[in-house]
Amino acid sequence: MFYMYLPIAGNSVNILMILGLGGFVGLLSGIFGVGGGFLMTPLLMMFGIPPTVAAASDSNQIVGASTSGTLAHMRHGNVDIAMGVMLLIGGIAGGTVGVQVIKLLRAMGGADFLIAITYVIMLGGVGGYMFWESLEGLKKSKNPTVEPKTTEAEQKSGKKSFLQKLPLQYKFEKSGCHISMLLPLGFGILVGILAAIMGVGGGFIMVPVMVYLLRMPMHVVVGTSLFQILFTCINVTVMQAYSNKTVDFVLAVLLLLGSTIGAQVGTSIGKKLKADQLKIMLASLVLLVCAKMMAGLLMTPTIMVALKGGH
Amino acid sequence: MKRVMYGLLTVVLVSLAWFNTSMAAEGPLLLELAKTNIKISTFYNGTTLDVAGSLPADEDVVVQLSGPKKDVHLKEKGKVAGFLWMNKTDVSLENTPAVYMVYTPSGSTAAKFLNPELGVGYKALVKDITINPESADKAFIFGEYVKLMEKSGVYAINEGTIKYGEPKDGMKGFTISLTIPSKMSAGTYKVAALSMKDGVVTSRVTEDLTLELSGLPATISSLAYGKPLLFGFMAVFIAVGAGLLVGVLFRGGGGAH
Repeated sequence: MFYMYLPIAGNSVNILMILGLGGFVGLLSGIFGVGGGFLMTPLLMMFGIPPTVAAASDSNQIVGASTSGTLAHMRHGNVDIAMGVMLLIGGIAGGTVGVQVIKLLRAMGGADFLIAITYVIMLGGVGGYMFWESLEGLKKSKNPTVEPKTTEAEQKSGKKSFLQKLPLQYKFEKSGCHISMLLPLGFGILVGILAAIMGVGGGFIMVPVMVYLLRMPMHVVVGTSLFQILFTCINVTVMQAYSNKTVDFVLAVLLLLGSTIGAQVGTSIGKKLKADQLKIMLASLVLLVCAKMMAGLLMTPTIMVALKGGH
Repeated sequence: MKRVMYGLLTVVLVSLAWFNTSMAAEGPLLLELAKTNIKISTFYNGTTLDVAGSLPADEDVVVQLSGPKKDVHLKEKGKVAGFLWMNKTDVSLENTPAVYMVYTPSGSTAAKFLNPELGVGYKALVKDITINPESADKAFIFGEYVKLMEKSGVYAINEGTIKYGEPKDGMKGFTISLTIPSKMSAGTYKVAALSMKDGVVTSRVTEDLTLELSGLPATISSLAYGKPLLFGFMAVFIAVGAGLLVGVLFRGGGGAH
């Protein structure tokens, strides 16, 4: 009774294993505000799920986990809905552009190369910078004579002249910033394009964008990111089910059972951690995935062919 | 009655001629499957299928499980920029069986039977497969594909697994338990028994084996393929519902975590 058959994936899986996997990724999602697609998809593939089914069913699962996570963060007052909506609109627009870019590149050849390189550069760059920055932050917090806010304030004042000239200025209450609406919209588009090229939800790019470029407080970043991911993944799930028929509902429900609970626990854990601790943990995770990707690109494969697509 | 007998005889002769034109009439080869229909239900995790039969005592038998044939689209890996291994070129293998498993008798090495001339083994499959583009190295690509399929459990050479019974009246029985992995999808497969003597196939019998979805997997599959938009919304609705439910439950718990 510990196995269940997945009709769309065309394979059976160990129920406990999938529940555990869901719980683990839900935990990360609650702590860091990332969907975890960049971790879950390769893990599911290891259990014999075709890549397209793994990615689509995972986005179905993320809908549940991020609903649970967003709710928990809302109770703590950590969701900036206005900011989330702006990022979301940008993200969807960017995603549409990104999908067309990939289509064009596939027709010309060389899309896979671009995808792999984007992955390594983004993961390595984002992870490396976050790791270094939060390490500095942790050092500073141990040494009270240094004021950690100085650099942030300096950077802000430097940008002000240009950013204040932008139209549609708006006060994002929860995020504590008074900026043009065009700014999150533009960043949303950028993340949307990258996410579409890489075939992921983009949480791990969106989080650093909110932390470093929009200068939002870390806990609001996590809640707002989850809010934004929820809607992105609803869109992806319906689209995948409709056009590619790759959503395995049984798999998604099993993952959900684990991840919704994991997300609640993760939110509580995240609350207890300092922003720099949160950042350094996420950075380590991103760097680990990057290292694994690099190894895959550099080592001679044991089997020289791979199944294309899925169905 | 006579007409029925003639009819049956014709069917047997036609089917034998169809399966193997070089068949020698050295005695009947019998093949019996414990069941010809396997239901894939909610908690299905692959199964086994008992197969039995009989053949002349001085012959050997090989059992093959194969089918259905399909076109496989692959990516051949290659180096990009001189050092990065990537899925590089598109290549298709047409008319390739989704499942192929060979069982050979105990007491002999599998190599004795894995002969394209006998129609047994991976090399025997190659001649029916066409590769696209034609310039690609068929033997190499198919060899790599076999490795991939062996890893997922749908291709296998099971050496020395068929057990013989004691010979009696010039005949002997054989039994084998076939592995039906969970990765074998719903469809119709063929179980074939080939009797051999002195490196020649003496007889061949084939039975159909059907795998079909039932219960929850059947319902979900028909919904996903038949009403995809409704299925997509249903999946989202249930996910949001589960998320809300857990969210409310945790609050109800009074911050136990």
